[in-house]
Amino acid sequence: MKYESQKVAKLYFIAAIGLFVGQILFGLIMGAQYVIGDFMFPEIPFNVARMVHTNLLIVWLLFGFMGAAYYLVPEEAETELFAPWLANLMFWIFLVAGAATILGYLLVPYATLAELTMNDMLPTMGREFLEQPTITKIGIVIVALSFLFNIGMTILKGRKTVVNLVLLMGLTGLAVFFLFAFYNPTNLVMDKYYWWWVVHLWVEGVWELILGAILAFILIKTTGVDREVIEKWLYIIIAMTLITGIIGTGHHYYWIGAPEFWQWWGSIFSAMEPIPFFMMTVYAFNMVNKRRRNHPNKAAVLWALGTAVMAFLGAGVWGFLHTLAPVNYYTHGTQITAAHGHMAFYGAYVMIVLAMISYAMPLMRGREACNSARSQSMEMWSFWLMTISMVFITLFLTGAGILQVYLQRFSDNPMDFMVVQDKIALFYWLREIAGLIFLVGLVLYIASFFVGKSEPEATVELAK
Amino acid sequence: MTDKNVFIRPCTWIYLLLMALTFVTWFIGTMQFSGLQISLMVLGFALLKGQLIGDYFMGLKQVSGFWRWAITIWLLLVGSLITFAFNLTA
Amino acid sequence: MEKSKWPPGDLVIWIFIMAELLVFGVFFSAYAFTRANHVELFNTYQLTLDRNAALINTLALITSSYFVVRAVAAIRNDNSQRCFHWLLAALFMGVVFLVVKGAEYQHHFAHGVNLSTNTFYMFYLSLTFFHFLHVILGMVILIAVALKAKAGGYSASEYTGVETGASYWHMVDLVWMVLFPLVYVMR
Ligand code: HEM
Ligand code: HEM
Ligand SMILES: [Fe+2]
Repeated sequence: MKYESQKVAKLYFIAAIGLFVGQILFGLIMGAQYVIGDFMFPEIPFNVARMVHTNLLIVWLLFGFMGAAYYLVPEEAETELFAPWLANLMFWIFLVAGAATILGYLLVPYATLAELTMNDMLPTMGREFLEQPTITKIGIVIVALSFLFNIGMTILKGRKTVVNLVLLMGLTGLAVFFLFAFYNPTNLVMDKYYWWWVVHLWVEGVWELILGAILAFILIKTTGVDREVIEKWLYIIIAMTLITGIIGTGHHYYWIGAPEFWQWWGSIFSAMEPIPFFMMTVYAFNMVNKRRRNHPNKAAVLWALGTAVMAFLGAGVWGFLHTLAPVNYYTHGTQITAAHGHMAFYGAYVMIVLAMISYAMPLMRGREACNSARSQSMEMWSFWLMTISMVFITLFLTGAGILQVYLQRFSDNPMDFMVVQDKIALFYWLREIAGLIFLVGLVLYIASFFVGKSEPEATVELAK
Repeated sequence: MTDKNVFIRPCTWIYLLLMALTFVTWFIGTMQFSGLQISLMVLGFALLKGQLIGDYFMGLKQVSGFWRWAITIWLLLVGSLITFAFNLTA
Repeated sequence: MEKSKWPPGDLVIWIFIMAELLVFGVFFSAYAFTRANHVELFNTYQLTLDRNAALINTLALITSSYFVVRAVAAIRNDNSQRCFHWLLAALFMGVVFLVVKGAEYQHHFAHGVNLSTNTFYMFYLSLTFFHFLHVILGMVILIAVALKAKAGGYSASEYTGVETGASYWHMVDLVWMVLFPLVYVMR
């Protein structure tokens, strides 16, 4: 760590991990409700748990991205952060607003929450991932703007690197597309149409730029490979992402009442979306193979390589699986979608945030380069536990999804939705077990911050 | 000026050949000739033009290994798929 | 001449080129296979296209590509100014392409044709417009290279940038070599 102000990232990372735990707990509650229908009813109905699970996911990833930016931007720009106090202030505002919103979901019925927050004045509530009350959304915009201002000014006054510019582009895009959360047309087709401008253009557009920039930063730091080489890769990855991802939005327009040509555009362009993810995998491994030095923080390198692989599997392979219109005709909105959603979010965005935390946290806590060997070994255990159980969650949901599609939509005698759900309950049990192991991995991950604190840092040999 | 001989001159000939093939294609189109044979011939010209652009303009003739054939492979793949599709209705 | 293991220009542009070719290849195949189910429709509406305009455009792209070849040759001889001038000429042909293609679109739109008119027009407009965007992107790249060449940024010993831009531009040309017969001529 070179600049004192990079330390503001620490708060953001701690909050991110805390909310991550909450997300997983609610995932487990829902997983149980899938097989024991009245589990925790009426205290926590499924729809509320789902909202909490997905909103916590988004919010903690945002905390993670902001933390990553606050750490990375000053170092790249070679200057102190423009206004550290603003970053600290925004942290507390965001945390309080986020916590209040989640409590709102849990404590009062959603309709009451809408009334309390005067949703009628500017109705934006009630849409998946964007359930937040309007005032929370406005809060998010304010936090995002101050954040952009802060890192934008830092970049302006400092060295301009490709990594910083790509990151800034991605973060700006994130804020801009979020504005469509305020656009809520009464026409359902239009409503869905623009809803995807937030959801899809986030994860398959601007967030990929953020992912690419953070990954590039970690690779530069840990491999010592020439910046120029990494920057070139970054250029074509983002070019490919934007070419395929923007028109690829069409893979959500097949059945919502949009014009038919979207079936062609969506199929062809989204089928190419795995390319940039694949390039990312190739380049991450390439850079590590060409490394000029062995970085002692093996855990961070593991997360970085892990994200490159898992993002390709989750987004690239599992996305491709159901992206062509004739296939999506059958799989739309089934467990196949959930399988893909889980692995893609975990592989691309959860893992990159954890990679950044893994790289930066030891430095912010006063280490020279990395944690002790014991701490790292525990962290690597948590990597494998979480990653492998996520692979299993995905496989079980895929199994459930294939059966669901067949029994409910494809066979000669299609069955009712709930009849089919009963028949595939075994897969949901297995998913829940895999989820519990995921939680174990997460607990180990947190524990790794506390073990081996008094031991010396791992060296390259020790870490081997 | 060795470059003039080994680089520019072949490219100039290729350029003229590409222009000529284009006129033939255009002529066939303007006459509205149709049918499988004609279509495949036109496609053949297109693939040939592509190969020439790859070999000479892009300079792949001076390359060995995978990249020598990268464009060729693409042309053959696309060419066969189109041929196959046109055969479906012949 | 000694054969090289790597294509001219930056390897990264070649990976990009292959990715782009893949997208176009899929698009072309989709056209061909869809046509197989609607031969009548495709043959009818293909006749509404302007083959003369397409001819001009094909010639424009080939010529432009050739000019780019000359630009690369010029910089190999360490002549930055000549390189710059050939690039300008190439860019001019690119403008010709855009103008002619724009006029074609103008004509179709004036007749109320759009993406939802029928499957043939859907493909025609999508394919050509996607290519149109590539012409623009290619020109942006060429402009960047030309400006750097004018400023003396390349020399006979270091001209990777020129080759990189040239390779991309040839790809734009190459794709049109297939697009033109497929969409305008083959029936
Ligand atoms: C990191 C990147 C990605 C993430 C985080 C992600 C996440 C998601 C999520 C959460 C959904 C469910 C949305 C909903 O209906 O609530 C979804 C749907 C979908 N995704 Fe992705 N995705 C990513 C990349 C991709 C890619 C690259 C493809 C295509 C190759 C793809 C194809 C699809 C398709 C076709 C659907 C719609 C499924 C349906 O019809 O139900 N995704 N994605
Ligand atoms: C980091 C790990 C996780 C991520 C990134 C994640 C992400 C998501 C996302 C994006 C959705 C929405 C999916 C969609 O709309 O199709 C979702 C829903 C869900 N998740 Fe997770 N999740 C994670 C962990 C878990 C765990 C461990 C469990 C339980 C074992 C779980 C259970 C569920 C359930 C039951 C749903 C609701 C699916 C439905 O609507 O039917 N999740 N999660
Ligand atoms: Fe999508």
